[in-house]
Amino acid sequence: MNAPLNDLQSLSQSVETVVAATKDRVVAIRNASRRHVSGFVWQPDVVVTSEQAMGERDEYEIVTADGRSSRAQIAGRDAGTNILALRLNDRIDVSSTVAASPRIGSLALALAANVDGSTAVRMGTVRSVGDRWFSRSGGRIDQRIALDIRLQRTEEGGLVVDTAGALIGMSTLGRPGEVLAIPTATIERIVPQLLANGRVMRGWLGVALRPVVVPDALIAQAGQQVAMMVMSLAEQGPAAQAGVTAGDILLTIDGIALRDMRQLLARLSEDNVGKSVELRLIRGGHIIKLDAQISSRP
Amino acid sequence: MPLLVSVDVADEQRRTTLTNLFEAAGYRVVAPEQSDVIVSDTKPPRRGLEELTDWPAQSVLTPRELDVIEAISAGLSNKAIARELGISLHTVKFHIESLLRKLGARTRAEAVAKAMERRKKETVEL
Repeated sequence: MNAPLNDLQSLSQSVETVVAATKDRVVAIRNASRRHVSGFVWQPDVVVTSEQAMGERDEYEIVTADGRSSRAQIAGRDAGTNILALRLNDRIDVSSTVAASPRIGSLALALAANVDGSTAVRMGTVRSVGDRWFSRSGGRIDQRIALDIRLQRTEEGGLVVDTAGALIGMSTLGRPGEVLAIPTATIERIVPQLLANGRVMRGWLGVALRPVVVPDALIAQAGQQVAMMVMSLAEQGPAAQAGVTAGDILLTIDGIALRDMRQLLARLSEDNVGKSVELRLIRGGHIIKLDAQISSRP
Repeated sequence: MPLLVSVDVADEQRRTTLTNLFEAAGYRVVAPEQSDVIVSDTKPPRRGLEELTDWPAQSVLTPRELDVIEAISAGLSNKAIARELGISLHTVKFHIESLLRKLGARTRAEAVAKAMERRKKETVEL
């Protein structure tokens, strides 16, 4: 009769079981020069991966854990949320995903693909779970999930699961040394937009800005100390059409001070495309107001 | 414009040591055979997905400071900057002092390099 398993053996077997059940979703995404990135099957005809890890090829080869391959094309990509969706030529049947509710301190497994499609695993804990956050590229991500694992570039874009095999999200390299998971909820929200439009139709004003201090003489009237200077404008973009010029110092957009970028990005969401907003700005020592219409990024 | 650090080293052995040090740190050493070692910044390491955060108010530049650092980056002397911006030489120096402090730089060259990096980091497109 076999001796009962000790705790370590039980843990190991449990991890192996989850990996065995999940690895069929993980794929290697290869371009012509045999360099690869990890990704995973989101729907039978859609693979999801990390946008910042991918180039701009017309076609990629998708290789699964059991060595089958299919060709795929980029259907859409969003730098804001780091999600890229590829459409597969040949379907890969997988069971539907169950979304996990990550809890701080719970164990997480990050699955990635090697260049031949075989699976590689890392294990760690959910290091922290924070609220909704915005990336510098303007994307809104439903939760800030950080993991205490190391990740190589080729492993980014793979999936992160909990001990039940439920999907926490897509592994992503954050700032140097940081590994994040883009939550399942965000992927669920973004992929349909990528498949329909090739991108996320975020609200756009067509203006590049840098933070500046408001000139002393105008601080009282402006009601703020920090604002954003217009560095350049997209030709025919909403700001240009409103009459904004380079050198203008934008104080508020739709009443929101340009100190609070997060609130501003929330206002420039997909839902507000078409909305007219008031721009309050400093030009030539005076505060003026212009109206602009939010459009979507071309 | 790449980040240029020039090190004046007469001793061959020290030059080799420094070259190895910089190369190990990921920088590309250009023209190591000459008497100066010129270290040029390679393509900056790929940054990952970064969070949008607010800027600390005390280090935000004034519009005038932005003008001055742009002019310095373009290679203008203090006198030329004063002329270009229509301000006194004294005022230019005053802005430069403030710039060095806000950018955390000790020299003009360092200020230019830091300003360039900041510009990339701080520019937001809406």
